[in-house]
Amino acid sequence: MVQDLLLPILKHEQKKSGYISEAAIKRISIQTGIPVSRIFGVATFYSMFHTKPQGKNMIEVCHGPSCHLNGSFNVLKSLYKSLKIKPGETTKDKKFSLHTCSCIGCCDKGPAMLLNGKQYTLLDETKLKAIIKKCRS
Amino acid sequence: MQILRKTELKAYKKAKKIGQKGVIEILSKKGLVGRGGAAFPTARKWQFAIDTKSDTKYVICNADEGEPGTFKDHLVLEKVPENVIEGIIIAAETIAAKQAYIYLRGEYEYLKPKIQKAISSVLKRSGSKVKIDIVVGAGAYVCGDETAIIKSIEGYRGQAYLKPPFPPVEGLWGKPTVINNVGTLANVPQAILFDDWDPHLRLFSLSGDVTKPGIYEFPMGVSLKKLIELGKPKNPVKAVYFGCFGGCMPYKEILLTPENVCGQNCVIGAGTIIVVDNTHSIVDMAETIAKFYAFESCGKCTPCREGSKRCLDLIAKIQSGKATKQDCDTLLDLALHIHETSLCGLGQTATNHLITALKYFREEFEQKCKLH
Repeated sequence: MVQDLLLPILKHEQKKSGYISEAAIKRISIQTGIPVSRIFGVATFYSMFHTKPQGKNMIEVCHGPSCHLNGSFNVLKSLYKSLKIKPGETTKDKKFSLHTCSCIGCCDKGPAMLLNGKQYTLLDETKLKAIIKKCRS
Repeated sequence: MQILRKTELKAYKKAKKIGQKGVIEILSKKGLVGRGGAAFPTARKWQFAIDTKSDTKYVICNADEGEPGTFKDHLVLEKVPENVIEGIIIAAETIAAKQAYIYLRGEYEYLKPKIQKAISSVLKRSGSKVKIDIVVGAGAYVCGDETAIIKSIEGYRGQAYLKPPFPPVEGLWGKPTVINNVGTLANVPQAILFDDWDPHLRLFSLSGDVTKPGIYEFPMGVSLKKLIELGKPKNPVKAVYFGCFGGCMPYKEILLTPENVCGQNCVIGAGTIIVVDNTHSIVDMAETIAKFYAFESCGKCTPCREGSKRCLDLIAKIQSGKATKQDCDTLLDLALHIHETSLCGLGQTATNHLITALKYFREEFEQKCKLH
């Protein structure tokens, strides 16, 4: 059973390279014998896999209803102010990618986001500025 | 909180003593039902897997808590992971499975070391031979559906498929598989061990426009008003959403039982309560939730894949002020069609929020429409 290793393999590739390139898909296909089409299908199905290059720091702002009520829109606005990118975009210096994501289970501490997989909660403009500054240094 | 009482493997020892029949009998007598939202009797699910003849069987712990506004499993995995693991080995040994998986959602990956530690410790102390592996998801709401979890663990796109056969008969790699929610498995050792275990207690995830959000443990049938007052809302409360899939209702006093909530055309599901006060628009909520479903639809069946996008388009049109009241009718019609014709639970419930919002808060939609 090789197929069940596909998710961990793709996770590893995503972590190592920041995205899953066409070359990586072809390489994995040769190594595992799983058709390219199927690997591509899996890589594009899950939202945490990216098939385009991403910035060094991955920001995913929770867009669930609880975070919406607690001001996730303001989080996106603040991030736009400091990074000049909208959801789905990467900064020119390739340091940050911004995405919105579905609920991350921090509904009692919204608005929340994931930065490189780590939770940041009860966000406001001051907190966000400090977080971005720390990433830049 | 009852759910946080530790069982320290005493339930596992008791389960070994009373055997397969004893475990099924005790869970059935105590009335343990699934905590994922469907409330299926746990003992019956296990019995199906026992009755299916096979050398290989599996147990899957569903830790893909993706329902927006729900964070109860998060609490359980963080505070009492040992209870969950004890529940898993009891389940596995009862149905004679040698392998179990914990399907942990990608967004909770940071909990993995803690769970891994609990697995090693429980297996070492209990001497159980059950192999438990953690499979980390990669971001897909639909993988909360049991058939989608199976596909995802097998390494495919996490798309749901038609039942029957149900997983306890034919599941992971075609073998009998019991899939239980984190909350259910955490309750298994407690139900077996404690005489005073209360089957009616549930975890309610309270969030939204409240100043004291969090997990509250109450019996099924608790007063909605009491629960919301504990959350100390800032402003007068307008509406309550039962997660995204459960729909919404105007705020009023009801006792939270599945029947009462169903009477409001909503679904109580996993006890998710999102409070919306009078400073927020229901149309904005509808747009947020419609975006979520358009993004999370797995794409397998047409009503959900295409319909969720059309719903979002129509709501955007209403938001832009270019829509007419007829567009509200079209939206409702579309919502009802998606509800009735989608393949899996995601699609069938994807428009509950629209059907109920248009029933109870139609004037908010119409206020944004043109007169003609």
